[in-house]
Amino acid sequence: MQSLKAGHLDASRWERRLQKELMSLMKEPPPGVEVDGDQAEQNLSLWTVHMKGAEGTLYEGESFQLQFKFSPKYPFDSPEVTFIGSNIPVHPHVYSNGHICLSILTDDWSPALSVQSVCLSIVSMLSSCKEKKRPPDNSFYVKTCNKNPKKTKWWYHDDSV
Amino acid sequence: MVIASEAGPSKSGREKEGSPEEKDDRTFECNICLDTAKDAVVSMCGHLFCWPCLHQWLDTRPTRQVCPVCKAAISEDKVIPLYGRGSTKQEDPRNKVPPRPPGQRTEPENNGGFPGFGFGDGGFHMSFGIGAFPFGFVTSSFNFGDHHHQRPAHGAGRGMALLDEDPFVSKIFLWVAAIFIMWLFYA
Repeated sequence: MQSLKAGHLDASRWERRLQKELMSLMKEPPPGVEVDGDQAEQNLSLWTVHMKGAEGTLYEGESFQLQFKFSPKYPFDSPEVTFIGSNIPVHPHVYSNGHICLSILTDDWSPALSVQSVCLSIVSMLSSCKEKKRPPDNSFYVKTCNKNPKKTKWWYHDDSV
Repeated sequence: MVIASEAGPSKSGREKEGSPEEKDDRTFECNICLDTAKDAVVSMCGHLFCWPCLHQWLDTRPTRQVCPVCKAAISEDKVIPLYGRGSTKQEDPRNKVPPRPPGQRTEPENNGGFPGFGFGDGGFHMSFGIGAFPFGFVTSSFNFGDHHHQRPAHGAGRGMALLDEDPFVSKIFLWVAAIFIMWLFYA
């Protein structure tokens, strides 16, 4: 018997939910998305997702890596999602350290969202980009921010991209 | 739901997906833990959750309680529990969660058919409020007593007809009322 800590699924349900998400992401991934299943199996709280820029967009032909970290409070608490690796997309909402300014990753998170829906949002955020550029406050932010993007007080002001 | 509870203990996180039973089960998956909903509740916007899961979510953001699926406003007293036939087992270890809110049920209305013909069955009375209190009182009593003896029920216009047909009686009562008021003044 496990008691319920505030804000947690108990460990077995946490595991089952992530296990189910992993299965469905491997079986029916959004276009251009591929999860590293072996790594995720090893450690369910840390996933790497490979993502290809969609055809016909500014990111066509590029590939990126996303990292998902799940706290024990997942899915009540959003996952920590950052771009990692050598190629960080140049996008007005993506900082050069890989942090992403996307409301569903903090304020607008809901436990009915999933890795799959987050991936889809990020693909679509990249796809709707009209001009490749870094956020205007990139250099300042990257110098001063916390390692965890969820510690940043994001200001969501631009719905267009 | 019955199938799910029978298969419960042997189920693991990974089962043969795509089988017909699996597809059926998924319709009743909790939107939070993605398992078949336990102690199922449904929100007013129609989304299904385990009660413990939903309760935890409501607890996570007490100031901004929204449906995880559609972001409609949601609250503890506006969810409806679902009672299936095979859902009586109570072996959930998450016992610190407050009990699932009860269903709200009202007795069906005992309605005797078309309302216009319902005079006889349940003490219909009509009070006729013209003028001062005593007058209204007396008239309504008259109306009540009258209803069984002289006139068969005809419908809603009855109270009106009474005034037209009995000006004499009305006059008497008007006088009675006047005398009553005078008496009140002098007493």
